[in-house]
Amino acid sequence: MKLLYKELALTAHPSSLVFALLGCLVIVPAYPYSAIFLFGCLAPYLTFVNARETNDLWYTALLPVSRRDSVRGKWLLTVFLQLFQLLFSLPFVLLRQALGVADNPVGLDATPAWYGLALAAYAAFDLVFFAAYFKSGYKAGKAFLLAALPLAAVMAAAESAAHIPALQWLDNASPENLRRQVPVLLSGMACYAALLPLAYKTGVRRFEKVDL
Amino acid sequence: MTALLEAKGLCKRYAGFALRDVSFALRPGRIMGLIGKNGAGKSTTLKAVLNMARPDAGSVSMLGEDFFGNERKCKQRVGVVFGGVDFYPLKRLRTITAVTCRFYPNWDQQAYEGYLRRFALDESKPFRTLSEGMKVKYLLALALSHDALIYILDEPTSGLDPVSREEILRIFRRIVRDGRRAVLFSTHITSDLERCADDITYIRDGRVLQSADRETFLRSFDHLKTPGETGNLTLEEIMLRTEGREADEAAL
Repeated sequence: MKLLYKELALTAHPSSLVFALLGCLVIVPAYPYSAIFLFGCLAPYLTFVNARETNDLWYTALLPVSRRDSVRGKWLLTVFLQLFQLLFSLPFVLLRQALGVADNPVGLDATPAWYGLALAAYAAFDLVFFAAYFKSGYKAGKAFLLAALPLAAVMAAAESAAHIPALQWLDNASPENLRRQVPVLLSGMACYAALLPLAYKTGVRRFEKVDL
Repeated sequence: MTALLEAKGLCKRYAGFALRDVSFALRPGRIMGLIGKNGAGKSTTLKAVLNMARPDAGSVSMLGEDFFGNERKCKQRVGVVFGGVDFYPLKRLRTITAVTCRFYPNWDQQAYEGYLRRFALDESKPFRTLSEGMKVKYLLALALSHDALIYILDEPTSGLDPVSREEILRIFRRIVRDGRRAVLFSTHITSDLERCADDITYIRDGRVLQSADRETFLRSFDHLKTPGETGNLTLEEIMLRTEGREADEAAL
């Protein structure tokens, strides 16, 4: 926990925390909710940029931690920001239902399937981002551009799904459709659970070779 | 006497520069100066010792243990200061300390507060508002408060005025006074070494030219004396004549 505390106290850029709070956007009546995926990826990106500008990896290297721990701190922060964002959005989904707000006319609603896609988007982004960033320990912009490709693919899939008649069940919260969406949610969770450890291991393997 | 820190055969190759077979030993109660001109490999040596630049070959032992195999444990007893590097410039010292102290089970808050008073440091100030000398003092206060035995400093006095430099050197002498701790610092300011170094390691073009106690070190450069010169050469003369000779030969 001290690694996560260090990341939150010293490294996390304030706007990263704001982006994590943007899970609340699911209450907006008409909005492309897949944009929230982008905010969930901008949050760690901005923090990594901030880490570079504040010589964070140098300072961490002076503490009684290993290189593996340096990567673990960033990894824990990323997981924290992304999962916090999704959990934070849940009360707003419930509030939206309680208020009887009509379905989102722009794109996919925040259904269980949407949460599954969010986790898949984060998993794909993090896998590429960690591998690319920890190759150098400072090229955050390049890492973001590379990782934005799979992210954009999942975002496009999420936005398109709402407009494809055969996939309308993804965008509907009726009990029957909710049951059909459970496998999508579980697949997203499995994807996140499988790819995040891989992102961490790849980051560690690459950072072991980096000279600060 | 067992060395607190021992580097053996450190090698690190970069494009256009290589550290070759760097070895030295730092004993308790001693201040070792790592000297060499800009680009000679002083910082690279310190980074290789601390695994910040991964050595291609060689070993480092700290307190009798292999550093690369026991990095976390060894670093508990090491304090490091990199001069000229701004850490978390917008963060207040209080915030940086609150994080740092969590990593050290031996942290002594009372001692830390004592060092803040002694060094006239204001914890409510952001790191970037400190002068270069105060930054070094703050990082030293952190190292002293977790009872580090080995103090490694890269160019801690560069860019400081003579008064601040003298103050830092006085702190070094105070650190080693109890005979338990040792200081290794790099510099290209020869007068700093003359004032406080017990041992000197001279790095030139990535190689250790000489590493010995100050007297032995000075005598080992007697061959650079011109006819009629008596007494030891100063460190500055040694550096100028060693580096200058090469430059003259290159010019020819």
